[in-house]
Amino acid sequence: MNISLASWSLPSKLALVALGLGALALFGDPYGGGAVTIQPRELAAMVQKEVDHVSVQELSDWVLQGRTDYRLIDLRDATAYAAYHIPTAENLLITELPGDSLARNEKIVLYSEGGIHSAQAWFLLQAEGYKGATILRGGLDEWNDRILHRAPAASTPTAGTLPPTPGATVAAPPAVKPPPPAAAPAAAPKKKKKEGC
Amino acid sequence: MSAPFFKFGAFGDEASLVVAFAIGIGFGFFLERAGFGSARKLTDQFYLKDLAVLKVMFTAIVTAMLGIFYLSWMGFMDLSLVYFGSTYLVPQIVGGLILGVGFVVGGYCPGTSVVALATGKLDALVFLAGVTVGIFGFGEAWPAIAGFVNSTDLGPLTLPQAFGLRYGLVVFLVVVAALGAFKGAEAVERRMARREGAV
Repeated sequence: MNISLASWSLPSKLALVALGLGALALFGDPYGGGAVTIQPRELAAMVQKEVDHVSVQELSDWVLQGRTDYRLIDLRDATAYAAYHIPTAENLLITELPGDSLARNEKIVLYSEGGIHSAQAWFLLQAEGYKGATILRGGLDEWNDRILHRAPAASTPTAGTLPPTPGATVAAPPAVKPPPPAAAPAAAPKKKKKEGC
Repeated sequence: MSAPFFKFGAFGDEASLVVAFAIGIGFGFFLERAGFGSARKLTDQFYLKDLAVLKVMFTAIVTAMLGIFYLSWMGFMDLSLVYFGSTYLVPQIVGGLILGVGFVVGGYCPGTSVVALATGKLDALVFLAGVTVGIFGFGEAWPAIAGFVNSTDLGPLTLPQAFGLRYGLVVFLVVVAALGAFKGAEAVERRMARREGAV
């Protein structure tokens, strides 16, 4: 029997290659062992270009259209969630976040009362490789103002609903606040009212 | 830059249609080159005279699987971002059987019928008319069958998850199964050819 490779037909050689690659695969892991590299520049660019945001108008359209291709995550505690939440929202605390229930190929929309918790959760998810994570711009406050109450454009900036900062010396948090008034078209013509649960 | 390119925003919705078009043309071209523009060749599969369909499809599966596995392993691709649909166990079995009957009766499957039409086969035109009627029929019947179509939803499920096996082991087993199928297919073809010759 001739074992010299040269005498093999092309299909036989290809079969051998496939078998070799298949055998080598026994030692591999396509998910890379869970190692995710964080690229700060990429994240910063996403923030700058605001591709990490979903507006309350967009979200209300999605809810009305009955779209199911996104996961809406309410980051507030269970009591607040039970009292009111945006339709289709699921309740997950930031501590439970990557969790088993979210998949890395899903579009995830995060919201909290204002924007701080969701921004923090966004970074957390991005760092875990959940590229589809986005923030609801302005959070539940803006949802209440623009979608539920249809407040005239300039009436309630989100500052009013922020809890008073206890220690006046602590400076950091407001840096991540979204810019609320700019995004809304002044007329807000076709806003839909949407009920809660 | 790593794949999937669309998910990472390398191109937008419109550009993705151009990419899809190019991939579609390539797919059709290679189906045609494999001889799948001919209903005779395709249905020979079911009479065990020519198992090219089995061999081409299994080759495509092994090639794609090894490509995805190694690209992901080497870090050129993020497998966890690749979308795939849910498994609806019973509806998909029933759908597969319906498609199989259509394949035997009509001589084509949906993709190969388009390939055959592109090469000027009139029976493919008739087949595609049937496909269109079927699509409308399905749409009209939707309220009655929606419950069934959405039943036994197992979610997006992979073989490693379903069987609790390591990913690499499943890859190896699929390669072995494919090579075994090729060997078996050749044997069957030889036997059928002998029998034809004897008659």
